[in-house]
Amino acid sequence: MSAKSENLMKAFWELVVVWVIGLVIAEWLVHVGIDHWPLIGSVQAQITADATTYLVWQAVAIYVLVGGTIVYSAFRFRARDNDNTPPTYQKRYWAPFVVFWLGMSIAINLANTIYPGMVGLEQLWAIQLNAKHPLVVDVTAQQWKWTFSYPKQGITDVSQLVVPVGRTVEFVLRTKDVMHDFWVPAWGIKKDVIPNEIRHLYITPTVLGSTKTNPMIRVQCSLICGNGHPMMRAPVQVLTKAAFKTWVSNNSF
Amino acid sequence: MATTGVQGRAVEGTGGGGEPFAWSMVLPLVRAGFMGFTGYFAAAWITAMIGHTVIVNPLPATVGYVVGLLAWLAGSGIWDGWIRRAFGGAEAPALTGVERYFRFSSDPKATAVRYVIFNVLAFFFAGLAAMAIRIELLTPDSTKWWLSEVHYNQTFGIHGLMMLLAVAASAIVGGMGYYLLPMMLGARTVIFPRLLGLSWWLLPPAAVAVFMSPLIGGFQTGWWGYPPLAQNSGSGIVFYTLGAATLLTSSLLGGINIIGTIVYMRAKGMSLGRIPMFLWGLFAAGTILIVEAPATFTGTLMDLSDMILGSHFYTGPTGHPLAYDDQFWWLFHPEVYVFVLPAFALWLEILPAAAQRPVFARNWGIAGILGITMIGAMVGVHHYFTAVSDERMPIFMTLTETISIPSGFVFLCALGTLWGGRLRLTSPALLCLMAMMNFLIGGLTGIFNADVPADLQLHNTYWVIGHFHYTILGSVIFSWLAGLYWWFPKVTGRLVNEFWAKFHAWWFFIFFNMTFLPMFILGIEGMNRRIAVYLPYLHPLNEFVSISSFFLGAGFLIPAANLFFSWRSGKKAPQNPWGSKSLEWHSPSPTPYIVFPEGSEVTVVGPNDNYAAGAPEPFVWAPTTAGK
Repeated sequence: MSAKSENLMKAFWELVVVWVIGLVIAEWLVHVGIDHWPLIGSVQAQITADATTYLVWQAVAIYVLVGGTIVYSAFRFRARDNDNTPPTYQKRYWAPFVVFWLGMSIAINLANTIYPGMVGLEQLWAIQLNAKHPLVVDVTAQQWKWTFSYPKQGITDVSQLVVPVGRTVEFVLRTKDVMHDFWVPAWGIKKDVIPNEIRHLYITPTVLGSTKTNPMIRVQCSLICGNGHPMMRAPVQVLTKAAFKTWVSNNSF
Repeated sequence: MATTGVQGRAVEGTGGGGEPFAWSMVLPLVRAGFMGFTGYFAAAWITAMIGHTVIVNPLPATVGYVVGLLAWLAGSGIWDGWIRRAFGGAEAPALTGVERYFRFSSDPKATAVRYVIFNVLAFFFAGLAAMAIRIELLTPDSTKWWLSEVHYNQTFGIHGLMMLLAVAASAIVGGMGYYLLPMMLGARTVIFPRLLGLSWWLLPPAAVAVFMSPLIGGFQTGWWGYPPLAQNSGSGIVFYTLGAATLLTSSLLGGINIIGTIVYMRAKGMSLGRIPMFLWGLFAAGTILIVEAPATFTGTLMDLSDMILGSHFYTGPTGHPLAYDDQFWWLFHPEVYVFVLPAFALWLEILPAAAQRPVFARNWGIAGILGITMIGAMVGVHHYFTAVSDERMPIFMTLTETISIPSGFVFLCALGTLWGGRLRLTSPALLCLMAMMNFLIGGLTGIFNADVPADLQLHNTYWVIGHFHYTILGSVIFSWLAGLYWWFPKVTGRLVNEFWAKFHAWWFFIFFNMTFLPMFILGIEGMNRRIAVYLPYLHPLNEFVSISSFFLGAGFLIPAANLFFSWRSGKKAPQNPWGSKSLEWHSPSPTPYIVFPEGSEVTVVGPNDNYAAGAPEPFVWAPTTAGK
């Protein structure tokens, strides 16, 4: 049984060409996709979207580099199904490749933990800590509806969420029965509502609008809570500060 | 060779009993089913009578399940084959022919074949549930003409639990692992063969109970069973908790066997460095199950206790529902590694033989598999970042992201093995490469869920659905098919039809990606998971996903037919059709009842992946020295 040898250096340069072409096409597609990103309606949603889009760029690059190598190898090193001639190249180890791989995977991990991970968390927490006079909204979840109260404004038990633009809102989350999850897709972050506990979620809306103008601006239960779970929504309105004042005076006792 | 009492015992004719199949051989299976159902209904009815209630209530259902399970086990042959001896009775003779497939048997090969049949059936029915889910999502609100919200919730709960615990958990570990475990080690059986036999008989009653749970009211919680919703949404949760606990117990029995067999029953010369890669994957799965499974199935039973015994672990004014999350994800995050580590290891078993190269950087691959096992035990909290306090986020984000380093080692080994090889792209190798491509997407999209700022938006959306289908359906099931095709000649002595195997591989790959890739976009666009009704702006993409999924689902009839007809009338396989150097190909195909002939033992003298021209054989056979 004789063996066959390959010019592996030449194969590597061909692979580099595959990588470059793949990266150009794939990252262009990412660019187009990010241009069509859905509504980013709060400061927090911007932090979330920045993290997500950054990771998309990175994930697509890694996919092309690793996946491209798999696809290229499958074509380049293919033998017929019944060809039993082994290659002469029988190396079990090549330190430069292993060390490079190890170094890169640790570096990418550390980098990701710092940005977008910790940086994003610090930004979210900073908003929470710096909110001097947040608008407090009590949110009560129950199977299967949301009710909202504004304790400082004297508004109780309304079924739609109305908030002013540009002011941090502190949502105080309680549930009457099972676990729920308070989520407005356009606002970027969500929080579970747990029985016997009170949770706080800070949101700073930046975009005017309502559920009617964009369905991303809606309260949506995001944790399975029984039969009515999909319909456990509530309409949202983000008003200018003046319009919010008018709404408060029309609705408070 | 390591021996046990079973191995030393002489069995007449290594090929088994040799009696042709007769319908009377199926009797133990029928008897078990009859006794199981009778036991269930009798016990449930008596309990209901005593408690002045109806048999669909939680308590009668619980008692019925336990009695039914024991009656089923007694009927399966465990009484005469195992237990009777403990009461002073005679032990039934070891059955070596076809009949061992239809009754309790201590033969790991028969157990493994039964695993494959069970997994295929569970995959079929849970797959039908998936089709029902996608029909529901064809239009924004299909509750008028298809499943109601209640039925929809029951359907995805059954689909999830069954695909995870009745398919993914045992597809590779059970069907391939238990078959190959002794053979790859040079042993004639596993360390606790009866315990392994028992592990299979626990599966069917649990699966039947979960599939039938809608008959006693179903469960609305999805496969998580989170309290307090669990306790106030239908008695079917009883079958969920008991079914999950039974299935996990079965996995645990297998895990004990894997670890014990690898530690104690390796052939002479099989040092840790020479254990085949596939067994390292099984070793990792077994470790995870032994360390983590008990805490989690105890959690599901405590959930049940809150429902039927009036305890308040997780419910009521003093209950702490998040404690359930902690217990639940303690195993159920690592459980995904029970599914996927054997798949990783399977790639590193098949690709070297296909590419005719040794495993590249083998020790790094083992380090990767064991590294995932260790770090995987510490990351479960990333499944409920939206529920935990802020201070738990950074540590679990960091640990979760760290998982990608050892996972990368597996790709490092696979790429290094392919590079410069001469790859025979037969259907198993092709499916392995496709599984790698899919896992890349599954793994990379997981980083988004590990990263808390991104996860707070993507959590519980279709992004997550896309992510874990890429890792489980896209990687584990592709690898399962690869393994089924690869070792099919070992089990049946015939080859699968290569054309249809490759045809379906492409069909599967294309429609799989068309079904699940758009789900990432759906997640970003704000579609949350577990909803029967969605907003109309999400309709076009959902329609596309549903139609793709129908092609994906229908495609599975191809491998089903291929495996069946190849088994009946496929091309006869040579003893080692793939040119693999692994030990299991040293026995004739199909495997005789006693894998390695008595009177000779194997010594491992070299690595089992040396494919260089003229390389020495890694295994040497010598006559057993008598009386040793």
